[in-house]
Amino acid sequence: MEWAVFATIAVPVGTCLLLMLIPYRHDEQVRYLPVPKLGPLPDRLPLSGRYLVRYLCLLSGTALFALSLAIFVAYQFEDGGYRYDLRLDWLRDVAFLGDRGISFHLAVDGITAPLILLTGIVIFTGVFISWNIDYRNKDYFVLLFLLVSGVYGVFASLDLFWFFFWYEVAVLPMYFLIAIWGASTNFGNFVRTKEYGALKLVLYLVAGSVLIFIGIFATFVEAGLGTFDLPALQAVAYDETFQKIFFPFFMLGFGVLAGLWPFHTWSPDGHVAAPTAVSMLHAGVLMKLGAFGILRVGMALMPEGAHFWAPVMMTLGVTGALYGAVSALAQTDLKYMVGYSSVSHMGYVIMGLASMHEIGINGAVLQMFAHGVMTALMFTNVGALYDQAHVRDMTIFGGLAQRMPRHAAYWAAAGLSSLGLPGLAGFVAELLIFVGVFRAGYPWAGALGILAAAITATYILRMLARAYFGPFNERWNFLKEMRPGEQFGGAVLVFFLAFAGMWPFPFLERIAASVKNLPGISQ
Amino acid sequence: MVGMEHAWLLPTLPFGAFVVLLLLGPYLPRRGDWLAIGAVAASFVLFAFMLADLLGALDEGHFEGVSSGIDWLRFGTFHVTLGFLFDQLAAVMLAVVTFVGTLIFIYSTGYMKGDPRYGWFFAAMSLFVASMVTLVLADNLLLLYAAWEGVGFCSYLLIGFWHERRSAAEAAKKAFITTRIGDVGFLIGIVLLWREAGTFNIREIFEFAEAGGYSREYLTLAVLLLFAGAVGKSAQFPLHVWLPDAMEGPTPVSALIHAATMVVAGVYMVARTMPLFDLADPIALNVVTSLALVTILMSATMGLVATDIKRVVAYSTLNSLGLMMVALGSRDVTAAMFYLFVHGFFKALLFMAAGNVIHGTDRQEVTQLGGLAAKMPQTAAAFGVGALSMAALIPFSGFWAKDAILHGVSTHQNALVTALVAFSAFLSAVYMGRLYILTFTGRPRDHHAYEHAHEAPPNMLLPVLVLAAISVVAGFWTFDAVGEALGFPGSIGKFVFFEEPEELKFPSAIAVASIVSVVVGLAVAGWAWWGEARPARVLGERFRPIYQLLWHKYYVDEAYQWVIDRIVLALGRVIAWFDRVVVNDTGVDGTAGLAFFTGFELKFLQTGRLPNYALAIAAGALIAAAVLLAVRV
Repeated sequence: MEWAVFATIAVPVGTCLLLMLIPYRHDEQVRYLPVPKLGPLPDRLPLSGRYLVRYLCLLSGTALFALSLAIFVAYQFEDGGYRYDLRLDWLRDVAFLGDRGISFHLAVDGITAPLILLTGIVIFTGVFISWNIDYRNKDYFVLLFLLVSGVYGVFASLDLFWFFFWYEVAVLPMYFLIAIWGASTNFGNFVRTKEYGALKLVLYLVAGSVLIFIGIFATFVEAGLGTFDLPALQAVAYDETFQKIFFPFFMLGFGVLAGLWPFHTWSPDGHVAAPTAVSMLHAGVLMKLGAFGILRVGMALMPEGAHFWAPVMMTLGVTGALYGAVSALAQTDLKYMVGYSSVSHMGYVIMGLASMHEIGINGAVLQMFAHGVMTALMFTNVGALYDQAHVRDMTIFGGLAQRMPRHAAYWAAAGLSSLGLPGLAGFVAELLIFVGVFRAGYPWAGALGILAAAITATYILRMLARAYFGPFNERWNFLKEMRPGEQFGGAVLVFFLAFAGMWPFPFLERIAASVKNLPGISQ
Repeated sequence: MVGMEHAWLLPTLPFGAFVVLLLLGPYLPRRGDWLAIGAVAASFVLFAFMLADLLGALDEGHFEGVSSGIDWLRFGTFHVTLGFLFDQLAAVMLAVVTFVGTLIFIYSTGYMKGDPRYGWFFAAMSLFVASMVTLVLADNLLLLYAAWEGVGFCSYLLIGFWHERRSAAEAAKKAFITTRIGDVGFLIGIVLLWREAGTFNIREIFEFAEAGGYSREYLTLAVLLLFAGAVGKSAQFPLHVWLPDAMEGPTPVSALIHAATMVVAGVYMVARTMPLFDLADPIALNVVTSLALVTILMSATMGLVATDIKRVVAYSTLNSLGLMMVALGSRDVTAAMFYLFVHGFFKALLFMAAGNVIHGTDRQEVTQLGGLAAKMPQTAAAFGVGALSMAALIPFSGFWAKDAILHGVSTHQNALVTALVAFSAFLSAVYMGRLYILTFTGRPRDHHAYEHAHEAPPNMLLPVLVLAAISVVAGFWTFDAVGEALGFPGSIGKFVFFEEPEELKFPSAIAVASIVSVVVGLAVAGWAWWGEARPARVLGERFRPIYQLLWHKYYVDEAYQWVIDRIVLALGRVIAWFDRVVVNDTGVDGTAGLAFFTGFELKFLQTGRLPNYALAIAAGALIAAAVLLAVRV
């Protein structure tokens, strides 16, 4: 299994390299390879550079999904410790580094196992969603897989140096993906170009990185061990004042990526500008890196600092949850609505973390998974409609459910999970967060969070009633049902939403085992 | 032998039918309606066995209900065991859900015939039955909440079943969001109860509360929040607005969900948690009574002027729900559950008979109906039985149940409350009489509709007649002899009760008052609407403002619409504007602009002239020296 964890990083990096070797001309001819007919699949396989890129990505995405699932299933340990430990020395005994120094240190625990699974699900479905991208698709997939390698790297790294390295790898390809393949928004009185979205996103996240960088170095110096190894640094008891001063660096630095209010504005603009699969990865997985960073680095290293700042974090989390929901209520652009709903749902994650309570943190980690899957499904839906209609304004549609019944059903599934319908993943996660928040002594925050869930119901059902129900608007009679690839991707996502909603035990058994090892958590 | 330990099969059967219909529906003969009917009928049969088992256990002496469960979540201090509790309260409710459910499924094969989404209808109805049965059987508040949201979701799907109609889509949304507002309170209440007790199990919460685990104020707040959920689901004032609009759904849906089962879930939940209401401050039950009284009076008066046949029946449902809540406000669980039991039959009957009228004439405004008794004699007779039950005329079932409520209210509440409830009995006789007269007697007002009117086919008529027969006799359960003959310990008061078995008494004063008010009410209806309905028109002209007020449903919908448009959405727009202009354009872009501006200004320091740099170096050295000197000193 150690090598499976390593492979989650090596496979996407290798895919990038292989993709670069595929010859590719813009005026290439497509040839066809006859293959035996299998069910509904076509009986001839198109062959060209463009298609080779797609086949390779499909293979690689499937492999990543299988590896992630295998890691998730295999991780079953009552003690919740780090497993599948792989440590390769990289730099040591030079200059300021001690004998542990910097090492390529990978491991998995109960918190990362579901997040690794989430990454596998999203990239696997993302390949299906991106299948029809035609414009420079090789470059697109190279960047996409580079981003994915960074995500896996962050989840699996136990060395702060590499953690930071992969964190940047996950963020930077975003710039090109949005600026080249994205879409600009123009409502007449409101213009946001894709270049603006891309630049803002990257500047924001890099600014967050600066804070994280300072925090990491302060920790390194304060510990005085000459190593960036996370378990070694966790074993040190830091001075309380030091913790109080430096926890905000992690809270805000990682918080930017988690959409922490008021540093969230890059997120709706960035999501809207990005192409579908990038939005999926971004809202589905990347924003989780921020929350994960707060938990894995901030709270694990500085429990007393976290305790001191918890009320602030709780306030920001609740504000984000309510503010995002109310803002989503006012949006008419489907993608902006989803973007603000992400701000709202990440607010729940922050609330769960800030509760510093076992149940709340379990809920927060499960919410990362649930929101990741749900929001990926939402962006799949927006993309499926936008690709055909080239507009995303919900007010000009009407009765689409008659034309695209499955598409409407997928929207309903995602929306219902987001408004916390029991039986879908969102409910379990939100319930645990509310319960934890109430227990931790913030009943006002829990009550406002439950209110935000009701507002979520309002904007989701309002959108469905406007765009999908009611009389069919004949203007859209050229629309067709979602492509089979999109339907398959959607079905995978719905399966995980329903599975985690009805039987969350496999997830929570892993998460809880590791959460109870965190320092400074109340029971 | 099948017994109470098989309770888990009850929801599993319809849920299985849902899954099969969803995946294979289009490939099954008749789109699989037989499978859905079979599943719900099997649930009823299974329920009958469970009831027999329960009665056997009751005979043997003390019986506390059978509960079984599985560990759903277990980590750290958080344990959730989901289980089923089968006791008398659940049995009464399940009788309605499974029996009336089976009849309505059969009825639907006629009513929904030829609909393009025929299979989906049965799938969604099966999912509803599964959720509803789970709600009834849940032994803990979390599962109850999950099923509660599940039935709400099915109601959303089915109200919006004909979602091509803008009004249906809007009604579905309104129903879901309105009940959801109540559910915010419900969930907060559940979490508050859990926070102290550390369990969601209803009985463990009772034990904890009885041991004094909650302070009185805390418990009062928690039960009031629980009641907020019931206000939404059981459509009590001020969240009653969704129920009349819910009539946009197909009629079988109105009969099953918005009359017999889902809307009484709030009543059931309050009855289930009555020990908590009892331990809380009396304010809690007074709130229940007050809101219920408002609901009763509003709905009864609105029923006097509405013209849509289904809407009038929906107002009568609001009226009935208010009555049950008043009974609960008087701590009279027996009366509430008795009314719930008979109401399930006669209200489903009213809806299905109304459905036959709609099916036969394609009209549902009473202004276009009239004289149908000649064309649809059986439906007219059955509707008449339902209407008289609703109006509570002796000896129809509604009479006995309403009398039990009146008795409970008169012993626990002051005279004003009793008088108001009795007055509502008069009003309900008036509007039910009006509805029957306008629909089935007099001269037809739309000749085209009348010519084409026809009696319903057997699969729609038979369930209606069965329910009509039951609506006549169900009330006799008020007598010990009837209960004993059926194998129960006696009357319903000895089967379902709070704390002590109750003797159902009928003080002659109340019975006489009730009979008189109903007879007078029916007479008034006959006087006002029979034939040309001239007195009614004159009254309507004379009291125009009142008529307008009732016709506009007390302007509650308009008020809510104003709040939504002017406050909620405006707040959304203000926040969105704030986010765009203040946070983004000023805060974020402003920071970027400031950095740009600073850089732009500072670049002028780089003049490229040597003397400027020399001056800067000299000045810097001087300042540094001065600082160093100062620090040393």
